Amino acid sequence: MMVKRSTQAAGSERAERLKFAIPKGALAGGTLEALASIGVDPRVIKESGRQLVIATGRFEFIIGKPSDIPVYVASGAADLGIAGKDVLAELDLDVAEIVDLEFGECRMVVAEPENKRESVEEAYAHLGVIRVATKYPRIAERHFASRGVQIEIVKLSGNIEIAPLIGIADQIVDITQTGTTLRENDLVIVDEVMRSSARLIANPGSLCTRSEAMAEVISGLSVKPLQ
Amino acid sequence: MLPREARERTHIAQAMLDVMSAWGYGAVETPVAEEYAVLQAGVGKSLEGTAFPFFDADGQLLALRPEMTVPIARLAATRLRDKLAPHRLCYHSDVFREHASLRGQPRQFTQVGLELIGGKTPAGDAEIIAVLVEALRATGLSGFIVRVGTVEALEALIRVSGKDEPWRQAVLGAAQSRNLVAIDALAGAQDVSAQVRTALVTLPRIRGDRRSLKSAREVAGFCDGVSDALESLEATWELLEAAGVDDAVSIDFGTMRSFGYYTGMVLEVFAPQLGVAIGGGGRYDSLMSEFDSPMPAAGFAVGIERVHIALSQQDRLPQAEDVDAVLGGEASHAFAAARQLRESGMRVRQSLRAGEELVAEAAAFGAKQVLLATGEGLYRLDEKGSPQEPFDIGQSLFSQRPASTGGKVT
Repeated sequence: MMVKRSTQAAGSERAERLKFAIPKGALAGGTLEALASIGVDPRVIKESGRQLVIATGRFEFIIGKPSDIPVYVASGAADLGIAGKDVLAELDLDVAEIVDLEFGECRMVVAEPENKRESVEEAYAHLGVIRVATKYPRIAERHFASRGVQIEIVKLSGNIEIAPLIGIADQIVDITQTGTTLRENDLVIVDEVMRSSARLIANPGSLCTRSEAMAEVISGLSVKPLQ
Repeated sequence: MLPREARERTHIAQAMLDVMSAWGYGAVETPVAEEYAVLQAGVGKSLEGTAFPFFDADGQLLALRPEMTVPIARLAATRLRDKLAPHRLCYHSDVFREHASLRGQPRQFTQVGLELIGGKTPAGDAEIIAVLVEALRATGLSGFIVRVGTVEALEALIRVSGKDEPWRQAVLGAAQSRNLVAIDALAGAQDVSAQVRTALVTLPRIRGDRRSLKSAREVAGFCDGVSDALESLEATWELLEAAGVDDAVSIDFGTMRSFGYYTGMVLEVFAPQLGVAIGGGGRYDSLMSEFDSPMPAAGFAVGIERVHIALSQQDRLPQAEDVDAVLGGEASHAFAAARQLRESGMRVRQSLRAGEELVAEAAAFGAKQVLLATGEGLYRLDEKGSPQEPFDIGQSLFSQRPASTGGKVT
């Protein structure tokens, strides 16, 4: 389907490695599996120790925090990247979202303490505002705005579940896979914000100036054959 | 910005403006602040969050221009109404955009661009692409690619889908944010025909040279609107070949622009190694009717700061020395000699330094000549700062200015 082209850039295209930003943490396992399917030996990355830039074969891998991957790709520091939809929606940067890689699946939900449900409603009726703790302020803001609910956002960078327990928020917006952590902290899900999974993203410029090399990787990583 | 960078950018902009002038485009200027309503008439909702709005003393809502197309469309619709169209207008202007904070985006930048108002598809489309390629080549930039698509194909597919307005807006929004995953999901909705679904999924992924038009026709040619758009792109491509610029152009049906006024061909320019577009534009056939002067139009804008960065990455910045000569010596002699040197066309920096310090100053400012003015005449200094042979001003016109520097020295 992709048509081969011969451009003025084609000559220089071959020489350079594609820069591929990959996340550490929860998405790392699925990422290595996906990369194995296009012929990248996972050991090269696993055994790299503390090295964060690894050149191998046609790629130069850049290992980053999941929330930084879209920034690397949008700025052109990386041609390709793997990032969670949650992070993409939060950052809202100019990157092309190409393939749903169908791993790292989770839900972003609104949750609140089971034993305080009435008091949250009361607080909203009384004060007209809910305090919401989250790592995802923009997503939370958009979600509640679309429902016409006024909120105050408490931005935290981890352990969001604790916020209602220590009294700094009424509700939380966070991602959950199985719901175990929420249950352990006596939180119940009251609304779903979005579903997330790992996505293959690309820099729009690289799609254009390095189209052949990019197309090969993209079709290799497409889980389902395109119709 | 300091003198050297300023001069380099002036070179870049001037090289582009010279090409535009050679194609018959005349430079225009418009006010930095416009009525908010005027800007909004052209851009609609996308103005929110991009323009800097403010009130004047009379309570009127104004905004700093976020781009030049709408102000120039207004200018052409009012001041050029009785003149012979098409209007060929170009500009070199600062524009201002509001961004969410901490995004690493500048709020003020400089654009060089043009508008061809009254020029139709396909000759008009081909003309602006050809000028764009020639203008960028004139700056010395290499390896750049103008990525050309059309908003008509997707809009036509959406129309024949038979789906409701929210779905249509969602598909357009997904295309504008380059979200193919979302387009796939929307195409998979119930009651979208298999034909339309395949076209929606496949079309935004088709890119390449002329042959990509054939691929596009195979998946989406059943839809009349797409077929028309492809015909017009094909005609444009033929003209690009005739103009000798097709090797810098790539067709890409995934190209969409965020400004909502585009109606046909859209383009973006990318340079290798630079992750962000250096320019963009397209056809906006309905914008002029917002100002009661309906006619087809197309144009583009290039961000000079980004071209500057791309040239510097390619090590192709215009050679732009600060001065040609540094002149020392007693002021009474130096002023007279400097006047003669400047009249001969040299840029002269007068200095109170002497000897090796004077030589060091010349090196710091890229001056080819280190001169000393004395009661007996003008002398060239060696690298130790000692006077050597007399300097003949009459010769300086021919021998002292660097030969070709890839552009005019301003």
